[in-house]
Amino acid sequence: MAKRVLVVDDAIFMRNMIKDIFASGGFDVVGEAANGLEAVEKYRELRPDLTTMDIVMPFKSGIEATREILKQDASAVVIMCSALGQESLVMEAIEAGAADFIVKPFRAEDVLAVVKKVLGEA
Amino acid sequence: MGAPVRHVVFLLQKERYALPLAAVREVVVPPGRFTRVPRVPPAVSGVMNLRGRVVTVLCLRRLLALPDGGQPGEKIVLLDRGRRDLGLLVTDVEGIESLDRVSAAPGRQSSTVSGIARLKGLAVTVLDPDGVDAAVAALF
Amino acid sequence: MTIDMSKYLGLFVSEATEHLEALGRDLVALEREGEAGAIDSMFRHAHSVKGMAASMGFEPVARLAHRVEDLVDAVRAAPDRLDRELVDVLLAASDTLMAQVRDVARGSAPQEAHALLEQLSARLRDVTGRAPLPTRVARTVVHLQAAASADAHARPREEVEPVRRAPSRWALKFRVAPACQVPGVRAFLVHRRLAALGEVSELRPALEDLKAGRIPDGLVSLRLETSSSEEAIRTSLRNVPEVELEVLKAVEAPPPAAPVQDAGRAAEAEPGRTVKVRTEHLDYFLDAVGELMLATARIREVGKALPEGMRPPLEEGVYRLHALVKDLHDKVMTVRMTPLSVITDRLPRAARDIARKRGREVDLVITGADIELDRAILDVLADPLLHLLRNCIDHGIESPEERQAARKAPRGRVSVSVRRQRDRVVLELEDDGRGMDAAGLKAAAVARGSLSAEAAARLSDREALLLCCLPGVSTARDVSDISGRGVGMDAVKRSVEGVGGTLEIDSEPGRGTRFTLRLPLTVAVVQLLLVAVGDEVYGLPIAKVVGAVEADLAVLSRSRETALLPHGTGLLPVHPLAGLVGMEEATVGGVRPFVVVEAESGKVALAVDRLLGQEEVVLKALSRPLDRVPGLSGVTILGSGRPVFILDVPRLLAA
Repeated sequence: MAKRVLVVDDAIFMRNMIKDIFASGGFDVVGEAANGLEAVEKYRELRPDLTTMDIVMPFKSGIEATREILKQDASAVVIMCSALGQESLVMEAIEAGAADFIVKPFRAEDVLAVVKKVLGEA
Repeated sequence: MGAPVRHVVFLLQKERYALPLAAVREVVVPPGRFTRVPRVPPAVSGVMNLRGRVVTVLCLRRLLALPDGGQPGEKIVLLDRGRRDLGLLVTDVEGIESLDRVSAAPGRQSSTVSGIARLKGLAVTVLDPDGVDAAVAALF
Repeated sequence: MTIDMSKYLGLFVSEATEHLEALGRDLVALEREGEAGAIDSMFRHAHSVKGMAASMGFEPVARLAHRVEDLVDAVRAAPDRLDRELVDVLLAASDTLMAQVRDVARGSAPQEAHALLEQLSARLRDVTGRAPLPTRVARTVVHLQAAASADAHARPREEVEPVRRAPSRWALKFRVAPACQVPGVRAFLVHRRLAALGEVSELRPALEDLKAGRIPDGLVSLRLETSSSEEAIRTSLRNVPEVELEVLKAVEAPPPAAPVQDAGRAAEAEPGRTVKVRTEHLDYFLDAVGELMLATARIREVGKALPEGMRPPLEEGVYRLHALVKDLHDKVMTVRMTPLSVITDRLPRAARDIARKRGREVDLVITGADIELDRAILDVLADPLLHLLRNCIDHGIESPEERQAARKAPRGRVSVSVRRQRDRVVLELEDDGRGMDAAGLKAAAVARGSLSAEAAARLSDREALLLCCLPGVSTARDVSDISGRGVGMDAVKRSVEGVGGTLEIDSEPGRGTRFTLRLPLTVAVVQLLLVAVGDEVYGLPIAKVVGAVEADLAVLSRSRETALLPHGTGLLPVHPLAGLVGMEEATVGGVRPFVVVEAESGKVALAVDRLLGQEEVVLKALSRPLDRVPGLSGVTILGSGRPVFILDVPRLLAA
């Protein structure tokens, strides 16, 4: 059964791109969220196998959202979407419990490699 | 006769002055205007924003009680770390030169002047950073 | 060839200072509670200072520390010999050591403390019946290693924590793939995974370097002490991309006395890894982040001039930039947070000294000192707090006889309690002494001409207590007493308000006095009313502004030279702000704005040229020499990059 993914990013462009990457890798994108608040709610509702999380978002940052999601579900796998120059934020997210990270600009094969490794499929 | 020491050489009106390089942090161009400081002597030009720090700038000519030769201040010499929020407005900065042999200044003995040196045959008045600092403190 | 020791000087000064401060605290605790544990700790501190000073070649420091160490050791063997005089001598020695360290910090040679050494030797002979041994000091310049090993010796073995079930120790080496874009984050992730399994030590490169991505060849090595199995360690790294585990092997149990950097109670209370950062770096970060915020605001302004279609991408970028900078700002502020204990730790010693000098008996109780505040606020608060404490003991607490006559316990009590209240920190300093005399304060203020008799009559008792913050108003009964309640209270109030806090005083005659300081957690973001006078802009704290009125100065009635502005049911004296800040007063007539502000003895109206509106700004403390200018309470930098002074109107009026 295909792994279920929740994609969180405040830019539609990014969400679409990430969705396409997952689709090409045989994943099932089951939901999207445009900010941290929505992300926490969608997570509760969908319980995905994997969540990709943008860091800088309105209302609630990706770090906060990650912290809350892990509070709900300690086994949640959250992968941070970061850019070069956000190293300290990513480390903060890791401290909050994020499982791993990917670095923009995204290349499909890199993203899928990381995701599969994290999920123990590689 | 000591080893040569690097100095920042600058002009005050038409006279040459120097401060030990070790006492100088950097040289900057003054902003369009200073924010004036209420109720301080005229030797205090005002304060400026230098990368988020508020730096107090003094007109060095007035601080040393020298006559006005009509030349505007083109550069600010910022003093070193311990006094890092102090800048001295000078006419222009000529460069960094090694000065050896600083001898007592005849008739110019004061706490702000440490002596006279020769640079390419011309006299340079070498200032004492601690003396300058004390002169500034005395204004407040 | 000699090794330049100067590079260790900073470390010597900061560590020796820490040890000596701790020594002083221990002495006071020892005397107060007779706590035996304090003696061991004192011995370690003295020993460490001796070792460090000897290695640095600072003979007078080493000798004095050695003598202290000997005496403490002697007392350890004969606790009954400990008395007040002995504590006094030891305190004097720790003060002198501190002064010597300060000399060293200033670059001058420490002075030999002959008289004190003699006193210590005499006490030592007294207790042990033998003379002190000579102190060995490095004649040549040696590597600081010597100090470190001396330090390790000073730590008694029994301090090593007993191990419940010996976990195994592993040597690990992993490599971050060269293609990894952010090796620092990658390595940090691995570090965190491993740290979750047990204790990581001997991390190479060090964590700070690792996080910054300074990882030569991508190789990271460390020791891991864990009760997890080898398989569990492997599993925890198996699903981490871009990382290869190169070495995982079991190693010997750790040596019994692993060298630890810090000893003492700080380390016990806080096992987390910390690094020391020079405070000036922190200041620089804060300034730099402030500048980033300004720059972001400017880009946003420029963006508004772009054609409609081009704005969204820029706005998105600016939005992200803003969010990042905001995050960074929060981080910097977090790093600057410092526990209040930094300034309250010296209070017990001060209380003891003041009480002894005044023949009082006082217990000082401090609670909540672990609460954190911005370092800048702590810096400002240190002196006022000491002053309030002195006030309480000097003037609040009665002599033991007086207290007994009033049917109180002979020992007075001063408590300092700190607590968080929403976004503020509340610090209360309370004594159980004689209390303050509201009526006396009113009379004193009227006598000094600070207040009219009518105005005084209208004040409630609580308001009247604050009159002690007017310069020169005091109720100290003792005329010979030069440090009456009033002296310095104006400075206390000004300091507290300068960081955006408030001061309240409650007092009940015969029962005691309470000073309540409400402080912001971080450097105040203050609301200002910006006003223009000529070409200059000044900020007035909104908290002090009552309102703004427009009027024509020429038609106002006058009392002697002062114009009077009708306001409410009364008339307020008008002060042209231009004159107060030492500028030429403009002679332009017509209607102009007046800002009504609260001053020490009532409201006044400031004549200004224009009102520019309200702005929320980050307050900066005044650096030298601006802190000497009367009438300024701070400075800020506006969005335009222009520095603007924040005026302290009462002080401006008084100056």
